[in-house]
Amino acid sequence: MRDQKLDQLKKEYMDTPIPQGLDALVRKTLRENGVYSIPNKKVFRKLGAIAASIAIVFGVFVAEINSSPAFAKSMEEVPVVGNLVKVLTFREYTVKDKDYEAEIKVPQIQGLKDKKLENSINEKYLQESKKLYEKFMAEMQEMKKAGAGHKGVYSSYEVKTDNDTILSVGRSVLEVQADSYERVQYDTIDKKKQVLLTLPSLFKDDQYIQVISDNIKKQMREQMKKDQNVVYWLDDKEIDPSELFKQIKKDQSFYINKDGKLVIAFNQFDVAPGYMGAPEFTIPTDVLSNLLVGNEYIH
Amino acid sequence: MGKKTIEMQIADYVMKYQDSHYRLAYSIVKNSYDAQDVVQESITKAFSSKKSLKEPDYIKTWFYRIEVNTALDFLRKRNKTVPSDEEMLTGQDSGEYDEYQNFDLQKALDELPVNYRSVVILRYFEDLKIEEVAEVLNENINTVKTRLYKALQKLRITMSDVKED
Repeated sequence: MRDQKLDQLKKEYMDTPIPQGLDALVRKTLRENGVYSIPNKKVFRKLGAIAASIAIVFGVFVAEINSSPAFAKSMEEVPVVGNLVKVLTFREYTVKDKDYEAEIKVPQIQGLKDKKLENSINEKYLQESKKLYEKFMAEMQEMKKAGAGHKGVYSSYEVKTDNDTILSVGRSVLEVQADSYERVQYDTIDKKKQVLLTLPSLFKDDQYIQVISDNIKKQMREQMKKDQNVVYWLDDKEIDPSELFKQIKKDQSFYINKDGKLVIAFNQFDVAPGYMGAPEFTIPTDVLSNLLVGNEYIH
Repeated sequence: MGKKTIEMQIADYVMKYQDSHYRLAYSIVKNSYDAQDVVQESITKAFSSKKSLKEPDYIKTWFYRIEVNTALDFLRKRNKTVPSDEEMLTGQDSGEYDEYQNFDLQKALDELPVNYRSVVILRYFEDLKIEEVAEVLNENINTVKTRLYKALQKLRITMSDVKED
């Protein structure tokens, strides 16, 4: 429970007189920054009150599972990968309720000759999506029992690169509940050799960990120098050293972009405050050239 | 999400929360004109650094961060020292803000160094989570908890929920 004194302090704080001209000042400042269609402050307030009262009433819960691959396919653009290998939406889990929402798209890779590889990737996609869906349903029931709450889970995928050699598929999960949290995972496949690429497999030895980490740190510093609102947890003396970015993991998430550059990906909150999103760093190839096994993928 | 431009999202946000941000600025700079300047400058800075907002859901902590930085810069420019962590709680000179102390936000709170005051304000008055306060102030969570604890001690407030959430 809160201390009465604190409530008293808060009350005084909230009673800070707001100058009459503040609204006009804010509007003027917005116009100076190129925003002309300025929303009305009063409308927001009303909407806020209505939204708050609605939030108590729960809507009808609808769960809809598109288990027909043909149906899911027609809903989703099918990125064609080469002539044979392609990625499509195999299944979609959808939950829409007033306060709870889930959209989980399960990708499926088709056309690999190595069926074992294909199956193992697709099974992983399916299992992870299922788990996500089940976790969401369980949490929703809990929250409903407790009487209130909002939650959203959005999982989707994106083909990052698709050329003769490489297929990079990224899957992202965004969980929203008061706060939101985004995780991103990538899988990159060599279509010719039909193998799943791992980060260590691209390099001759472990030196890449240090080299890539140093390059990322350099990029972080440059970005922070340019803009004081860009923050990475890097050199800050006040931050617990264990929370600072030191180096990438041996199997750090990565993909190879359309230009054949290595891109290192972090989850939200891994190396920076939440408002920085899920950061990505493109590593210049000249930094890596001595360490790479070959220039087949990265150039 | 996604349909509105980032500019419109910033505009929506500042229109909606202008009062909160004014109060926060006022609590730091202690003067209505200066607080309005801080709000104005923060909005302009938000637009010029909109690229640093990668995740629109985090506009709140992002904007608070810009505003706190702007307000602290303001104090520095006015040659008001922003006390560092440890020099703060010992031997506070309550005369420091005298010329700006026109209104009566509780004296004890006013006498706290700004680093401590802003933690209390963000956490308990603006209702940010500890993690959000840490992001806004670019401090780690433990530092924020420590400051909160010491500040409340100074205010002689007994709390049971400081350690939690």
